[in-house]
Amino acid sequence: MMAGIQPQKTERDGFLPIRTNGFDRGFISVVILILVHLLWMRFLEGVLPLWVATVLCLALAVFTIRKG
Amino acid sequence: MRQSNIGWLFLAPATLILFVVGFVPFIYILYVGFFDWNTNAIDPTLRWAGLQNYRSLVFDTTFLNSLARTLGFAFFVVVSELLSGYVLARALMADRLWGRQFFRTIHTLPIVVAPIAVGATWRLLCVPGFGIVPYYVKLWFGIDYNISTNAYHAFATAIIMDLWHWTPFVTLSLMAGLTALPKEPLEQAQIDGGNKLQIFWYVIVPMLKPVLLTTVFIRLMDALRSVDEIWMLTKGGPAEATRFIGLHIWINVFPKTDYGYGAAMSLLTLYVTIVLSWLLFVAMTGRKGGAQ
Repeated sequence: MMAGIQPQKTERDGFLPIRTNGFDRGFISVVILILVHLLWMRFLEGVLPLWVATVLCLALAVFTIRKG
Repeated sequence: MRQSNIGWLFLAPATLILFVVGFVPFIYILYVGFFDWNTNAIDPTLRWAGLQNYRSLVFDTTFLNSLARTLGFAFFVVVSELLSGYVLARALMADRLWGRQFFRTIHTLPIVVAPIAVGATWRLLCVPGFGIVPYYVKLWFGIDYNISTNAYHAFATAIIMDLWHWTPFVTLSLMAGLTALPKEPLEQAQIDGGNKLQIFWYVIVPMLKPVLLTTVFIRLMDALRSVDEIWMLTKGGPAEATRFIGLHIWINVFPKTDYGYGAAMSLLTLYVTIVLSWLLFVAMTGRKGGAQ
């Protein structure tokens, strides 16, 4: 009965240097996505289109959320 | 009714207010950031621009310089206020200090002054030939102090003005934190032979961490959005020496009515503020994982 009302421990160790919960990993993914897109527009967009950055970041986001 | 439903019911008014004053404007700014919208332009309607505002932003050296300048200002201000606030807090808590209550009262007075009045007062203090600051700086150091022509003087004055205004807030927060500290760990550390520096670093700082974290967050976010004081003091000048990001956004949004670009700048500033606060939170709470 008590176990049912105790908060579940959702933090875990992954490849990230800090213990993270689901929100942290989602937040880190969004932060990286925005940063990469801004840097891409500044330095790489003349060579590679922006959708490449989007695909890379989404793949990284999935990896971060699952394994981070 | 289940207990969790009652909880949500109690939370509903606050959640609704937060949604209306926080989330709705955020979504609106996010929306406007994707449009070209200038009410003084030939076509004053909203025109879809996609990521063009953000694309312009990463090449806008005035904006990037302004952002870097603001980060520098925030760093100087927060670190200085934390150090001076701690020293003042310890001094005002010392039993030996004569007139402690009097000093405690007068040192908090700057907090109650409106920022725009602080800026106007410091402007008057710094007018060459009239204010006392240029007079004494010339008398004691032989420096021709002028915040209207010298970028370094203007930047330093902006920092000193912010220190004068907000150090008492840090002092009060730290005094509250220090007063609430339990005496036993400090006495144990003294019995174990710890010197003052060791006791400060290994006992006081860890126990003060929640107060420090809250104070740093509040001051960091305030420093990143300084507008009114700076506007009254220097109007962002000379040249762009004190044009901090809040002022830069204001200039673009109101006099220039470039709402789309202003929205993009606001969002990028919000992004920087959130990331900085999160990094600070992680660093100060020490959530180290297995990969560390």
